Amino acid sequence: MRVDLEGLVFARGPFTLRGSGTFGEGVHLVSGPVGGGKSTLALLLAGLLRPESGAVRRHGVSSALLLLQFPEHHITCPTVAGEVRSWGLAPEDVLLRADLLGRGDDDPFHLSRGELRRLTLACAVMQNPDLLVLDEPFSSLDCVAKGEACWMIEERGAGITIIFSHERAVLPRVDAIWEMEDGVLTARGSVPDAIPSWRHAPPYLRYALREGARPENIRLSDAREALCRIRG
Amino acid sequence: MQDPRLRLFAAAVLSLAAFASTAGAVAALVWWLLVTPRTKVLPRPGVFLPLIAMIAVTAALSAWGGGAGLSYFIRMTVILLLAAWVYAGTEEGEMLAVAVWALGDRVGFEIGLIAEMGLTGLAVIRQDIEHVRVAMTLKGIRPGVRSIVPLAANLIVTEIRRSDEIARLLVVRGYTIGGRICPLFRTEPGDVLASIMALIPVLLSTLPLRDVFILLG
Repeated sequence: MRVDLEGLVFARGPFTLRGSGTFGEGVHLVSGPVGGGKSTLALLLAGLLRPESGAVRRHGVSSALLLLQFPEHHITCPTVAGEVRSWGLAPEDVLLRADLLGRGDDDPFHLSRGELRRLTLACAVMQNPDLLVLDEPFSSLDCVAKGEACWMIEERGAGITIIFSHERAVLPRVDAIWEMEDGVLTARGSVPDAIPSWRHAPPYLRYALREGARPENIRLSDAREALCRIRG
Repeated sequence: MQDPRLRLFAAAVLSLAAFASTAGAVAALVWWLLVTPRTKVLPRPGVFLPLIAMIAVTAALSAWGGGAGLSYFIRMTVILLLAAWVYAGTEEGEMLAVAVWALGDRVGFEIGLIAEMGLTGLAVIRQDIEHVRVAMTLKGIRPGVRSIVPLAANLIVTEIRRSDEIARLLVVRGYTIGGRICPLFRTEPGDVLASIMALIPVLLSTLPLRDVFILLG
């Protein structure tokens, strides 16, 4: 199972996006500053935008799903339970996972942005598609909810998960790092080898590297463990 | 047409003419063909054709019941074409400028502000519909009668909520009633000629044409 980007070019006004590479099975993090082209690439990967040249080719991917940057854009039903059903899921399981038990009859627009984000993320993960593209899944979440979101993503055993995020504090365990800046996608490679060359690495990873530690992954706990190893 | 005052005047009189009679509608259509950029100002087929279809269905029902279905279809289609032309040509702030020019800083400003908010709302609704379309695609929901009803309810509730938010924002910013702006307009020679020509369909719609032709015969 893999997704190939073959000389992808997409232009909108003065902005041009370019990207090539292969997303294999596992969790991929595409990081980069706001406005770098992450959401555009997410839409291209999901097939909601067409490239001007090049192609997105899916191999062995039978289902794909994109979690949009703004969770309110997913809403198509007047109740939270109806919204879950519109994803083809049973409300009880999803509401439990999203920590929204007892809110099934509420208007989804009455949920906070963070609650709505938890709901849509739970729906997306529980649908378990072969290709799951998450556009800024940690935005609007507090630290605890970000941690729970990371846990949900890590729990996905199979398939391709591509996370587009500028988050630099709470991150999940990933298999590969990519960077998107000024419309150009750059592959940094597999983790942990890619960590030293990661330009948008979070401050705690930079600190660990400066101290001579070699974290095994990109989470805060990985940096802490690596520092403990060298300090004894 | 550069001058929004003349554009709105022409649209208003032509709409009246088209609504009043089939002859007025045909004359307004001729004006539309001569003066406007025609199909370039029409919305995309996905928006325009369903509206035409709605008019056609109503006209067919009217004709089936013994009414003037064909006349209704012609008149409403011409009004729709005129509305599309005005909507495409109106830039932000023009409605407010025209209303203040015509009715002053108090009543004019209020009416202009409401008109501006209405036009902005149309663009926002278009975006909302696009978001819903994407969400339905992602969820694998096929458009149909079952999905349309909750979606329409959702859109209406969203727009009401948005209006409430805008009203609160205006209060927070200290808006009470009226306001002062100095509207500036640019009139091209062709604008005046086109506006005068717009009166011809009005005359045709008010004249008893059948009587004229009988006299000529």
